Amino acid sequence: MASLPNEQNQREKRQSSDHEGFLSHKKMRWLKIALVLCLVTIVAYFWIDVTPRHNGGSWYGYTLGTIGALLIVWLALLGIRKRRYGAGRWSLKAWTSAHVYLGLALIVIGTLHTGFQLGWNVHTLAYALMMVVILSGIYGVSVYATLPASLSNNSKEMTRGEMVDALAAIDRQLQAAAQPLGREESDLVIAALEQSTFDWGIGARLSGHYRKCATTRALSHFADDWSRPVGSDEPKDKVRSLLGKRKNQLDQIRRHLRIRALLEVWLYIHIPTTIALLAALTAHVVSVFYYW
Amino acid sequence: MAFLIRTIDLTADGREIIRDRAIEKKALTIGRASENDIHLSDLAVEQYHAKIEQAPGGKLRIEATGGLAFHLDGKVTKSGQIDPHEGAELEFGTYRLVVSQSGNEAPTITISQVESAAQSSDDLAGFSLADTLPSKRVSAWLGLAAILIAFLAIPIYSHLARSATPDGPTNDGTVLMDASWSTGALSQAHHSLEDNCEACHAKPFQSVQDTTCLTCHEDIADHADKPRQLTGRGPLSTGDALQWAVAEQFGKEGPGSCTTCHTEHEGAGRMEPTAQQFCSDCHDTMDTRLIDTQLGNAADFGTSHPQFQAVVFTQPGQTNPQRISLGGKPKESSGLIFPHDMHMERSGGVARMAKNLGAKAGYGSALVCADCHTPNADETSFLPVDMEEDCEACHSLVYDKVGTTFRTLSHGNVEQMRADLAALDRVPRSPAASGMLRGRQRPGQYSQGGLYYQNFGRPVRSLVAINRALAPDGVCGECHIPTTNNGKPDVMPVNLRDHFMINGWFDHDAHTQEDCTTCHKADASKSSNDLLLPPLATCRTCHMGEDDKSADVPSGCAMCHSYHPKGSADAQIVAKNTKSMGVPGRQLPNKDKQGIDAVLAMLGRKSD
Repeated sequence: MASLPNEQNQREKRQSSDHEGFLSHKKMRWLKIALVLCLVTIVAYFWIDVTPRHNGGSWYGYTLGTIGALLIVWLALLGIRKRRYGAGRWSLKAWTSAHVYLGLALIVIGTLHTGFQLGWNVHTLAYALMMVVILSGIYGVSVYATLPASLSNNSKEMTRGEMVDALAAIDRQLQAAAQPLGREESDLVIAALEQSTFDWGIGARLSGHYRKCATTRALSHFADDWSRPVGSDEPKDKVRSLLGKRKNQLDQIRRHLRIRALLEVWLYIHIPTTIALLAALTAHVVSVFYYW
Repeated sequence: MAFLIRTIDLTADGREIIRDRAIEKKALTIGRASENDIHLSDLAVEQYHAKIEQAPGGKLRIEATGGLAFHLDGKVTKSGQIDPHEGAELEFGTYRLVVSQSGNEAPTITISQVESAAQSSDDLAGFSLADTLPSKRVSAWLGLAAILIAFLAIPIYSHLARSATPDGPTNDGTVLMDASWSTGALSQAHHSLEDNCEACHAKPFQSVQDTTCLTCHEDIADHADKPRQLTGRGPLSTGDALQWAVAEQFGKEGPGSCTTCHTEHEGAGRMEPTAQQFCSDCHDTMDTRLIDTQLGNAADFGTSHPQFQAVVFTQPGQTNPQRISLGGKPKESSGLIFPHDMHMERSGGVARMAKNLGAKAGYGSALVCADCHTPNADETSFLPVDMEEDCEACHSLVYDKVGTTFRTLSHGNVEQMRADLAALDRVPRSPAASGMLRGRQRPGQYSQGGLYYQNFGRPVRSLVAINRALAPDGVCGECHIPTTNNGKPDVMPVNLRDHFMINGWFDHDAHTQEDCTTCHKADASKSSNDLLLPPLATCRTCHMGEDDKSADVPSGCAMCHSYHPKGSADAQIVAKNTKSMGVPGRQLPNKDKQGIDAVLAMLGRKSD
């Protein structure tokens, strides 16, 4: 018997050293808890006879509202918990798992709390913000599950630094190779070299369509000239070949940027909307009791 | 084949020293060891790091010879092939080797040492979205501030700082942005208060109070006297008691308050009728608690509702009406003689009469209900039948003709009739008149059995004629019951009620798609003693309880009943005779505010 705690300990160590994502943490404990919570609230919604109809102001409405508000505040605390290093009573993984599943349960709890009575008011604003936060969270979880693989596929074992270095190396060669060119062509090369790799809007980043790309423009100017043999010493051909390399390198960086943007963009909605939600929730609760 | 090696060194003052040397070899070695063709004195470079050799097609192949890789055009690799004509850039440690070739000259390798600039995180920051989008923190603060100001600070400030004029239903709302607090549109009745929240929500953090409702609804009466209500309701269930205990902690007024039944902000349109359960909670088994009640138990119109009782006169000449059940064959006695069946026959004398009078006079091929019964203005009920309007087209009271003008007896005034008939026989003016009065001589329409025949009695002496008219077979006795009043012949007064229900109501206008005879069996009624009101079962063919979704019309209590007594006058008349139904309670305490406790004591079941 004395060996039992030890064995258990080892098993725990082994388990925690295995890579177990936050979604399947502890055999989906929080998924089960969230499902039970949803089920109980839904059954109670239909079982409890609230007259004239379900409403946030019935006793069941207040109950759901209280659970929902506490959940929202607790879910938002993940932002604080994740900044505090060191093991609390629950690991960050447990927190994240609970955050995801209880956050999903909030769809049911929040919606039942409304009693499906929505309108143009601060109460529905709070509900809408809550739904935006949850939906952006769902998006976040789903891209975290799928996109990192394509990120590493795209990088082909290059680090971000190497991608930037490679582009710089191509640029240096381009600078040298373009020396014999005339004014007009030099300007095209300069435009390509001077254009920032990163200074593009969110639209270009997310779509991967860089309409005003100077490298593409320069490349189309130095169109393939089949009259000269491959590997000719003609400066234009060198420049064209280097521009082609530059374009390839840019494309890789842009694919990386696109995936990164898809991975990160939800946080720019999730976080500020959460804070706005906390404000709207405060306004909702205070206003309901102020004009009770 | 040769290589041209060009070394660029920097002097201490930054001047470049360029040295060229040609190496006549097919392959070059690169490393830290001094015997390498290209000797790079950097500890990051291996002793024998890489080898450059010629490849087919004028290309160069670079191969790492040690374990470490090198940079080729920025990428880390252990081998690679380059076209010197196109150019390439190699990096070993801090050394950069630029490979180039022009024309048929030897490939040139230009060696320079570059500052080993450690890649700063700034170079990589561009990969993140942080520079592209506004900072999460900034947008979070902006959203937070905008919402708190617009939806909290502005309404609260303008509420607290509003002018000292008292809030009221007739004032305009002055609180800004509080429309955003409204959980839904107000009902039709309260629509004018839509932008005047403070009219009802009088004090911050205090639920809407009964006294506020009563500022407008000052005339409303309570359902019953409080002791009767308390007894009738019985004790609260544990769940309800717990709920109210919590609610009262938060300042809710209690189970009898207005807002318990009347919920607002449920959307525009009529206010939601109060649910059946509010009534059935007490009325389902009320007789066990309120043992002296005359009211039957009721919990659901479809399954648990007492038989209707109508207020009617049951004896001729009765002064106080009686309340009788509509079960079985209820009888009334209005003092009128009127067989409905004869009047509604599709053929026969009455139908023929209607036909003769014709469409010009508004009649069809037989009489219909609407020929005699006229709805009132809101069409919920009917006007009293009016002899001159509704009967006289057939039941003519013409007794004389002067030239082309007929003289008609005045209906409803026996003295006038006496006078008119007394004056008649002095000067018999026309064959028509004499025919009418004598009841003989003229064949045809004026003769006995003819269309215009009326028996006013014989004109021998006026008194006789008058008595004839008032006799059972006289013109009056046709519809009225003859009697004697102070020794003189007279008729019984007509006692017809214009409404019959005192605790509920019926709206004819809501039933226009039905034929009258669906509910009122007039076509089978031979006597006006038949009370033609339908029993409960007739209503139940369409109306069942609120929860019976299979019924044509699921009907809650509020469809026909009001919680707050309306027809108290009726109730009092009946109460004199029948001893107490639900006795309406006192008027609720209103404008002269008596404080929360008084209101609660009045309304609620809190004993004190």
